[in-house]
Amino acid sequence: MYEGPVQDLIDELGRMPGIGPKSAQRIAFHLLKIPTPDAMRLSEAITRAKERVQFCQRCFNFSEHELCLICSSASRQDGTLCVVEESRDVVAVEKTQEFRGRYHVLQGCLNPIEGIGPEQLRVSELLGRIDGEQITEVILSTNPNIEGEATAMYLARLLGPLGVMVTRLASGLPVGGDLEYADELTLGRALEHRRAVE
Amino acid sequence: MKAPTTSTYLCQYAFPESVSDDAAPAAASVVIELLSLVNFRNHTNSEILFAPGLSVVSGANGEGKTNLLEAIGYLSSLSSFRGASTDSMIGIDDEQAVVRAQLQVNGREQLIEAQLDRRGRNRVQVNRQPLKRARDLLGTLRVVVFAPDDLAIVKAGPGGRRELLDTVLGSVHRRHEGDRSDIDRVLKQRGAVLKQAGGSTSNEVQATLDVWDTKLAEVGERHVSAREALVAEVSPIVEQLYRSLAGDDAAVTMKYRRSWEGSLLDALTQSRHADLRRRVTLVGPHRDDLEMSINGLPARTHGSQGEQRTLALSLRLASQRVIARRVGCEPVVLLDDVFSELDEQRASALVRELPAVQTILTTATGSVPAGAKPSASYVVVGGQIREQHG
Ligand SMILES: [Zn+2]
Repeated sequence: MYEGPVQDLIDELGRMPGIGPKSAQRIAFHLLKIPTPDAMRLSEAITRAKERVQFCQRCFNFSEHELCLICSSASRQDGTLCVVEESRDVVAVEKTQEFRGRYHVLQGCLNPIEGIGPEQLRVSELLGRIDGEQITEVILSTNPNIEGEATAMYLARLLGPLGVMVTRLASGLPVGGDLEYADELTLGRALEHRRAVE
Repeated sequence: MKAPTTSTYLCQYAFPESVSDDAAPAAASVVIELLSLVNFRNHTNSEILFAPGLSVVSGANGEGKTNLLEAIGYLSSLSSFRGASTDSMIGIDDEQAVVRAQLQVNGREQLIEAQLDRRGRNRVQVNRQPLKRARDLLGTLRVVVFAPDDLAIVKAGPGGRRELLDTVLGSVHRRHEGDRSDIDRVLKQRGAVLKQAGGSTSNEVQATLDVWDTKLAEVGERHVSAREALVAEVSPIVEQLYRSLAGDDAAVTMKYRRSWEGSLLDALTQSRHADLRRRVTLVGPHRDDLEMSINGLPARTHGSQGEQRTLALSLRLASQRVIARRVGCEPVVLLDDVFSELDEQRASALVRELPAVQTILTTATGSVPAGAKPSASYVVVGGQIREQHG
């Protein structure tokens, strides 16, 4: 244990995801060593972000305004929603520049072990958007793991009766990689979902 | 536009059996040439040069001979065959342990290294190249471990028998390993829903359970079919091995018993009411059993200790053969103090039935059964290994 403020800093850092006690201590010592203005910049960045950033009222992505830039943009295509688990997934899909529709961030996935059921996710808000925004296609882009698949299946069953087309991201091989380096499960699944060459 | 049904896009892939039963003869082999341990249990710094044939490691209990086998097993499965946690395999005062093996794979040298870390940052390297996922190591070194408590496979509850089948399947193909961990995961999630429901049967609970049931049924049916195919393959081999080891003409039969009839999805639906009440999943691959009998009587309840031990040995030997046949490469055999429990006749029968592959045997007494021809002998004292000559 260190003196009050030092230990406080270590404890706070230690609450961050993926940061163990040793890393917390290393970061704390680093912060104490660097010039004060540098440390204050971090502190201000945290304060500013916490003050200004909220969730978009429509898609629940992070936003500085009531509606995020994507939701308020006139150049995005209406009618298609890409449903993702987290804000970081929006960033990932945006980077592809292949999607011109809009998003819906669930803020998690079905994970009963962690106490996350449909009520903890932005599911009812999603259903509300289908009619409200005349959505014709929903692309379920949850993670390709057990919980992500279960969430996609759950949503597909809710969305099906609403007459909207429901699609799921295809799972396949990493582009630019060598076949021999793909792990068996990915390659096996890609083989299973092979398609005819036109 | 009409919505596609869920099954058209949710990972519903049925695997074809890629390796046929009459695959190429198991000519290929893997040999552990050098094993080195750093801070692995009581081995602060041990190195052992193994022989390609039979290596005998002797030492009193607690000196660290089984730890050697456990370390080799770790490189094979990234887990302890004793069911120990990663933490307990790292030296008491240490943060990390390293297990390193120089292998000869079909005449080519391969260096595999695993670092066990208390904070869970386990790392694996092959030929000094770090693997992105530690699990990519699986399948590089295959072993079959014979341990004194193998008796429990026959004698104790069905869990150990399912474990045996799943271990063999996992050695044979990564997809089985994946299915098995998916089943565990879905069962945990479904169990959490059952507990949180607290007996409620609201639409919300039903809809959530529907999803987990579909997933469990899909992976569960596939995995159980794989277990059944394995039992069908292994059963005649076990029967023949049992007769050879026991030296009589006893008839061993094996039957995989599902905990449900018909489709698993239907069974889960039918069981839902009871599941919600009891707050556990009452049907599925985790409730199945492998029933074994000797001369028509259940081995678990009616077999003598000797019969049960012989059956357990037959199961391990048969596992080794099936893995070799399915993957075309002979697993290394690890025998942890197995002979001390056997009478002379069974011990020499086991020696006769062991495959002609690298075998590493530990013994507390130092004695080796008749017929065994060790290529090298070692003594382990307090985590130190010494080769014995002559
Ligand atoms: Zn938005």
